[in-house]
Amino acid sequence: MKEIQQKSIDLKPEEITKKDVVIAWLRFYYANEIPHAFDRYIAASLLWALIPILKKLYKDKNDLVAAYQRHLLFFNTQLAWGGGTITGIMASLESVRANDTYEGKPLSIDDNLLYNTKAGLMGALAGIGDSIDSGTMQYIFIAIALPWAQEGMAIGALFPFIAFSLYQILIGYYFSQLGFKLGRNAATEVVGNSMQMLIEGLSILGLFMMGILAANYIKVTSSLSFELSGKNFVIQETLDKILPGVLPLVVVSGLYFYFAKKGLKVTNALIGLTIILGVLAAVGIL
Amino acid sequence: MHVTFLQALLVAIWIALVMSRAFLGGATTTLRFSPMMTGLVVGIVFNDVHNAMIATAAIQLIYMGVFSPGGQMPSEPAIATAIAVPVTLLGNMSPETAVGVAVPVGLLGSYLYQLRFFANTFAMQKFTDKYASKGSSSGLTFSIIGIPIIIAFIIFIPFMFTALYYGAPFIADLIKTNSSSFIFHILNVIGGGLAAVGIAVTVYVIGKRSYIIFFLLAYFVAVIAKPLNITMVTYAILGAIIAFIFVLAKSETFNSIKDSFGSGGVGSGASQDEDDY
Repeated sequence: MKEIQQKSIDLKPEEITKKDVVIAWLRFYYANEIPHAFDRYIAASLLWALIPILKKLYKDKNDLVAAYQRHLLFFNTQLAWGGGTITGIMASLESVRANDTYEGKPLSIDDNLLYNTKAGLMGALAGIGDSIDSGTMQYIFIAIALPWAQEGMAIGALFPFIAFSLYQILIGYYFSQLGFKLGRNAATEVVGNSMQMLIEGLSILGLFMMGILAANYIKVTSSLSFELSGKNFVIQETLDKILPGVLPLVVVSGLYFYFAKKGLKVTNALIGLTIILGVLAAVGIL
Repeated sequence: MHVTFLQALLVAIWIALVMSRAFLGGATTTLRFSPMMTGLVVGIVFNDVHNAMIATAAIQLIYMGVFSPGGQMPSEPAIATAIAVPVTLLGNMSPETAVGVAVPVGLLGSYLYQLRFFANTFAMQKFTDKYASKGSSSGLTFSIIGIPIIIAFIIFIPFMFTALYYGAPFIADLIKTNSSSFIFHILNVIGGGLAAVGIAVTVYVIGKRSYIIFFLLAYFVAVIAKPLNITMVTYAILGAIIAFIFVLAKSETFNSIKDSFGSGGVGSGASQDEDDY
């Protein structure tokens, strides 16, 4: 009798602290897309992130093996918004589950609930995270640094790299703590009202910076000129008198409507525009 | 005009570090999506940071907006840069020429990343599952972190080394010997215009359709203000202020509707907006 009691004390799950969650987040940040694979994408990264926490929670070997295996099902999301939030939520749910298991109570968090929480959140959070982080923040940093690069300065490369990497570590840290504190309720916070406002503001800023870049860096000018009754007409000069910068705007708008109609076919757009520009340049219009 | 053994090897190792995603982990996101840091590394290795950065800036413009929802990309900016910038430096060519070289190389590069995906899939099935069922955490670390890094190095280093050591001088010579002003004119036009692709992708991905008005606003502000040489930081602050005003106005309107109508719908919000003007 005494022996059994002793054993069960050894099996008691340790408490998961904020620090454990920070470590899990940093492990996820590191592993991220290293084990990228077709069948389960980055499931292994999340498992690797959670290993120290799972080891603290499940002292019984069979429970630990089961925990390892249930985190190897298909999982794919975005680094900071999805990865941060879900790492935190998983830490919180697994510790509830481990305590239930230890106390012999019926599991309030079963395998299905764990996986459905992951699967339900990963897509939605990846959608927000991709368009905010990779799609907007990254390009705001790059837009700021681009003129430095054009002048041949190394800071043009260093600034966006350092700023964007730090930004992702910090917001991922915030989301992982939020996920740990609120458990599954964290999701409503992440997609909540004030966050929506922030996202809208950022997307406006992103569009604004793209407008600035388009005006400064797309170089489409007409080299066409012809003689008409003794007078020399240069098409570009005429265009500049009517609406400066009209040709680059025509090209961007054309591409935008192409994407709006046919979906985001970037490769087709690259090849198509290369051919069009090449032909127009060859016949002397551009 | 040649690439030394050491130069080719160093750049190849850098690409393997980035594409294995192992160099500082999540920080490789922007290293893979943006050509900037690869351009800087090439500049340091070839001892011409100045011209390397200028060529890289031109390449960056066509890869604006490129990122990988779901992990796969149509083109790999880092690989494209690792070949195109050395070619430009070797041949003393214009930055726009770099773009002409980068596009096809980047498309080829995406197949290499797919190959890595493929190899990882086998590794996960063979090793990770085994170590998970044994409860071996060190085995898991080896199979989740170690093996994929080794796979990436085996895929990327030989390919990049060969492409740089033999390919880059060859491409540079080819362009040089055909260097009639006609070819260069075409390459320059293409290089200058392709920047539109990256920007159009970003505009398409970022915002709601009606927000395009902010893109147009900025476009014409920049066209008008071109002679003033306003810095990007200034523009970013201006953009942030405009975004803030818009969000503020929107939330104030929303709140005032909520106060006066209780649970007023979004539809009435639109008409309230118009009343304000």
